[in-house]
Amino acid sequence: MSGLLREMIESLREFLERLGSMTRFFGQVLWLSPATFMRFRLVVEQVYNTGALSLVIIMTCGLFVGMVLGLQGHDLLQRFGSEDALGTGAALSPLKELGPVVTALLFAGRAGTALASELGLMRATDQISAMEVMAVDPMRRVVVPRFLGGVIAMPLLTAIFIAVALYGVQLVGVQFLGVDQGQFWSQMRGAVELDDIREGLIKGVVFGIACSLIAVFEGYNAQPTAEGVGRATTRTVVISAVVTLVLDYILTAIML
Amino acid sequence: MNHQHGGAAGGKPAASPDNVAELHGVDYSIDGKQVFRGLDIEIRRGEVTAIMGPSGTGKTTLLRLITGQLRPDTGRVLVDGTDVAGLGLREIYALRRKMGMLFQNGALLTDLDVFENVAFPLREHARLPERLVRNLVLTKLHAVGLRGAAELRPQQLSGGMARRVALARAIVMDPDILLYDEPFAGLDPISMGVVLRLIRSLNDALGISSIVVTHDVREISQIADASYILSGGQVVARGTPAELRDHPSPIVHQFMEGLADGPVTFHYPAPDYWQQLLDREGSA
Repeated sequence: MSGLLREMIESLREFLERLGSMTRFFGQVLWLSPATFMRFRLVVEQVYNTGALSLVIIMTCGLFVGMVLGLQGHDLLQRFGSEDALGTGAALSPLKELGPVVTALLFAGRAGTALASELGLMRATDQISAMEVMAVDPMRRVVVPRFLGGVIAMPLLTAIFIAVALYGVQLVGVQFLGVDQGQFWSQMRGAVELDDIREGLIKGVVFGIACSLIAVFEGYNAQPTAEGVGRATTRTVVISAVVTLVLDYILTAIML
Repeated sequence: MNHQHGGAAGGKPAASPDNVAELHGVDYSIDGKQVFRGLDIEIRRGEVTAIMGPSGTGKTTLLRLITGQLRPDTGRVLVDGTDVAGLGLREIYALRRKMGMLFQNGALLTDLDVFENVAFPLREHARLPERLVRNLVLTKLHAVGLRGAAELRPQQLSGGMARRVALARAIVMDPDILLYDEPFAGLDPISMGVVLRLIRSLNDALGISSIVVTHDVREISQIADASYILSGGQVVARGTPAELRDHPSPIVHQFMEGLADGPVTFHYPAPDYWQQLLDREGSA
């Protein structure tokens, strides 16, 4: 029993230590961000790497999520004879929940792992060390542009995911199942308020900050071995997924 | 900056203007393991100094102490008369602009081509017209014989070529000190000869000081002006390569002759061989 307790205390101590390191790291990233924005080309490169290169997976998943929503929504509403209300039912969930959350999970799986493994490999192959010896701050040159690229890309990806998901709902509901097109769009326009869009975008920004921070932190602090890089990549996905869902609950509770 | 040329400060040994780097009484340990105990080394200006020793004796750690990436537990590391341990990050970075370092694997930035790798320090530290950057980079690449490889990616280079590109990058800012970490490791004889000749010729042509960490005794003996052999966290021998060859210390003899067994044992400490084989429990 005492062994188990000791192990739990040790785990808690490690968790708090890591949380402290990440908080300090986040402070450093924020402090260096304004100066890095001056070198906008570096940030744009990373928006391309994290954003543009994630587009295919985001759009594909968005389309299928929307199509499933269309099917499920239509099936449910049909039971009450109100399938014309599909526009209302199917618009809010991608906008407020599924869009930001699924985009964040996909972002962590595609861009987050790429960021973490890239930074981890840079450390393992002495590229970070070489920069330090060349009197170039790797935080400024490598970490912050990648963080900012992720933060900018996430809300954009979220918006694209939502748009494609809504198209997916429309595709199934209107094109395949015969819901009236006019009813569908007018119901959707009537149900969606500006606050709903704002909620989705705020979540996108917050998840972007969280997922990008976790990826660059885990990658930059990876052990410089093959196992260390692998571990950093896994941790990036797992921690990002958990943090995204926890933050989603908190943000929803605040903004409801 | 804490310049201490020409006089002792507080009883500490003064930096000699003849030395580009000095370590005095350096203790350093990591994860409870003592790497250096009272290490004393002097690197003379304008010379090629070899730091040798068996694997795991802290040769790379020594370079990291000189670049200020690591701080000694006690003792002083002086570079150009400046105590590295007392410097803040900004001052360390200013000092590092006088240094160039060649890493064991080249450490080229994999997202940039050869030209951009060599141009990297220039773009980061100086706002130069593009034409001047181009000429400087091509000059340095020409010096290492790789002007024609400017557009290749690091992944397309052989080990020897990557090492030479990294060397071009290390000299592009015209440093005063060049640090080499195992520059011959894994190279074929031709590449090794090329890198060896480059170390000497660049040192003389650019008027710099070179510190070469290696365990390739025969190769470095051809070009080194002075050598140190480290073992057990201390300097066990120092002198010219010829002096080291005649050194009476058994460990120096073992190292210089490349003997498998001696003060550095062939076997890692282990229980008695027969006892372990006969042990039914199978403790290994």
